[in-house]
Amino acid sequence: MSVENLLYQGLIGFTNAMYLWLVAAGLTIAFGVLKVLNFAHGSLYMLGAYVAFSLYGEMGLGFWFSLVLATLSIAALGLLLERTLFRPLYDLDITYGLILTFGLVLVFSDLARLVWGGVFRIPPTPTTLIGSFEVFGRGFSYYNAFVIAAGLIVGVALWLLLDRTWWGRTVRATASDREMAGALGIRVGWIYASVFALAAGVAALGGALSIPVRVVTPGLGTTIIIQAFIITVIGGLGSLRGAFLGAVIVGLANAYGILLFPDVELFLIYGIMALVLLLKPEGLLGERR
Amino acid sequence: MRVHRGPQTSPLLAILLLLALVTAACQPPEDAPADVAADPDEDDDVAEVEDEPAEPDDCEIDGVDRIQIGGLGALSGAHADYGAQMEMGANMAADEINAEGGIVGCEVEIRFMDSELNPEVAITNARFLVGEWGAHFLVGIDSSGVALALAPVMDELERVLIVTHAATEKLNEEEVYENDHRNVFRMSVPVYQDAIVAALIVADMPEITRIGNIGADYEYGRTAWEMFQETLQEYRDDVEFVSEAWAPFLTTDFSPHVSSVMAADPDMIFATPWAGEAVALIRQAQQAGSFQQLEMWWQAMGASVDVLEALSDEAEADAFEGKLWGTGRYLFNWPETDENQAWVEDFREQHDRMPNYSAQTTYTAVMALRDAVEAAGSVDAEDVGAELAGMTINAPAGEITIREDDHQAVYPVPAGRIVYDEQWGMACVCADLQVFDVEEYYREPPFDD
Repeated sequence: MSVENLLYQGLIGFTNAMYLWLVAAGLTIAFGVLKVLNFAHGSLYMLGAYVAFSLYGEMGLGFWFSLVLATLSIAALGLLLERTLFRPLYDLDITYGLILTFGLVLVFSDLARLVWGGVFRIPPTPTTLIGSFEVFGRGFSYYNAFVIAAGLIVGVALWLLLDRTWWGRTVRATASDREMAGALGIRVGWIYASVFALAAGVAALGGALSIPVRVVTPGLGTTIIIQAFIITVIGGLGSLRGAFLGAVIVGLANAYGILLFPDVELFLIYGIMALVLLLKPEGLLGERR
Repeated sequence: MRVHRGPQTSPLLAILLLLALVTAACQPPEDAPADVAADPDEDDDVAEVEDEPAEPDDCEIDGVDRIQIGGLGALSGAHADYGAQMEMGANMAADEINAEGGIVGCEVEIRFMDSELNPEVAITNARFLVGEWGAHFLVGIDSSGVALALAPVMDELERVLIVTHAATEKLNEEEVYENDHRNVFRMSVPVYQDAIVAALIVADMPEITRIGNIGADYEYGRTAWEMFQETLQEYRDDVEFVSEAWAPFLTTDFSPHVSSVMAADPDMIFATPWAGEAVALIRQAQQAGSFQQLEMWWQAMGASVDVLEALSDEAEADAFEGKLWGTGRYLFNWPETDENQAWVEDFREQHDRMPNYSAQTTYTAVMALRDAVEAAGSVDAEDVGAELAGMTINAPAGEITIREDDHQAVYPVPAGRIVYDEQWGMACVCADLQVFDVEEYYREPPFDD
């Protein structure tokens, strides 16, 4: 196996990691602040994909416009969900949220089947992103390069937003001590709603980005959320950097598993998760509780 | 209760509980049907047999009010179009039969349920269809794994099952011929089509010497790849099988598989993921420039209408450079007979789409059941089975004979290159059609190699 082929496989794994990162980022942000394990987060990814498909594939709107509109519309849905369904959960045990969001998965899945049908959907690739260029002696699609760029840009944007803005500081303060933040005049309810909307929007962007190359089906939310939870366990629940690291680890493990260890490829990711749980239960970049 | 004062559940524990819930959700209860199928085509009223009194009202079979045919197909997920098309084909046949007075005066009713490509779900739903709903016959089944699991159950259910898509050769060669599960029949071409026909074509392509495999990681994909290699080695001693990658159901990203197999610099890819997964696979490979490096990409079920529809834009732009080959269990553009063209046109008028092979095979299965019940004058599995075995039926796919020994329908289907065709307004297996005599590629009882 040549070094070029190994590096190329890594690049392929990194592309997949960007989709996973966008889902895991929202999941971990929402948990870090709201302390809710949102099992329906994958469904928001799925809905983002479906809405983008409708706008771009069926209504003929531009791909870029569809990406933005799908992201914003699912962010708005996130806002609505937080204000109506999640708000009463914050003082309850984490299992209440678990049951609610599991129910939401079923509702969203059937809703998708009702609106978009049970069969898969896949629109054409936007013409500006068709084609490939050479990397490590092999063809690498423009679309994959675009997905990597989008994932990294979102990562930097989230870091700036949470680390370098007033809103980010209030979010971190609220996550650290909700009652104290409220006593200092921070509108905790508004912070919770905006964080949840942000998390939903990022997941929806991931789904929307996937539509030209991955088929959308009503069960997509469940598939993606399992991987997202594995990532957050590996990286550390509530840690954004951990989510990125976890996504890269899972993406690369998947790609290299297929290339080098095809017989144990599926086990590899679960094996890594088990190892992390044994050696560092709080996750690689998680905080000990 | 507003405030939880007790100890909080660990998030990690909650995640494990979540995963357990997902697993539980995938398992239907033993005594309940697992997800009754929604009508795949809301605008179509063919499934509403109950609401529209059919002409037949005088069923001549003792103890039977109407003949009920249960269907099991993939009706959710990336493969859902197969089940939807099965249902369309079955309902089309039932409508035609009912319009002509039914089967010996008995109205035909169809009910489809989702197999979810899961043997346990399919068996649960088969038991429900027979035990609760009252199905006299079962048709459908997409997955080879499901077909193998269901074959022994049909003895216990005492019902005829006509498989209309699942392709493993183990169904006819082992389950029917060897293990004597005589209630099982198959109306669709087995994996001989996907594997042996591919080998016969590649045997005459000396430019192909290095072959890689991107396989559907279950019975069908494994047996197709094995049969292809075995057959090709009988004709060529200069080919190398250089790389393999296996993708399980629910795979969304095939890029690592493509990249892994292409790293071995193959001339040809033999690929068996199907339906929506085939679309994602081919598109991801095409965008990575794989077709520029290859001489041939064999997509075993590339003739599937959902795949052809989704890849039409690329085919029109010649993105596959004429190197994408495919076959199926029936092509809507072949045979070029009046019967087939009329059937395709009829299907197109009803559903505004072209028929997939699962529609044609299921349509034919229901028609074969009609002929068998009329000949037997009974719905008893043994009587109807005796009529089906050895039957010859004129189908849209041409003349089909069901072999007596292994209950396998025998008929040729071409393979060819997938190109865009102006006449159909979509991609189709229309170029370089190659049709082999069935004697050349159907394995025959006693299957001694």
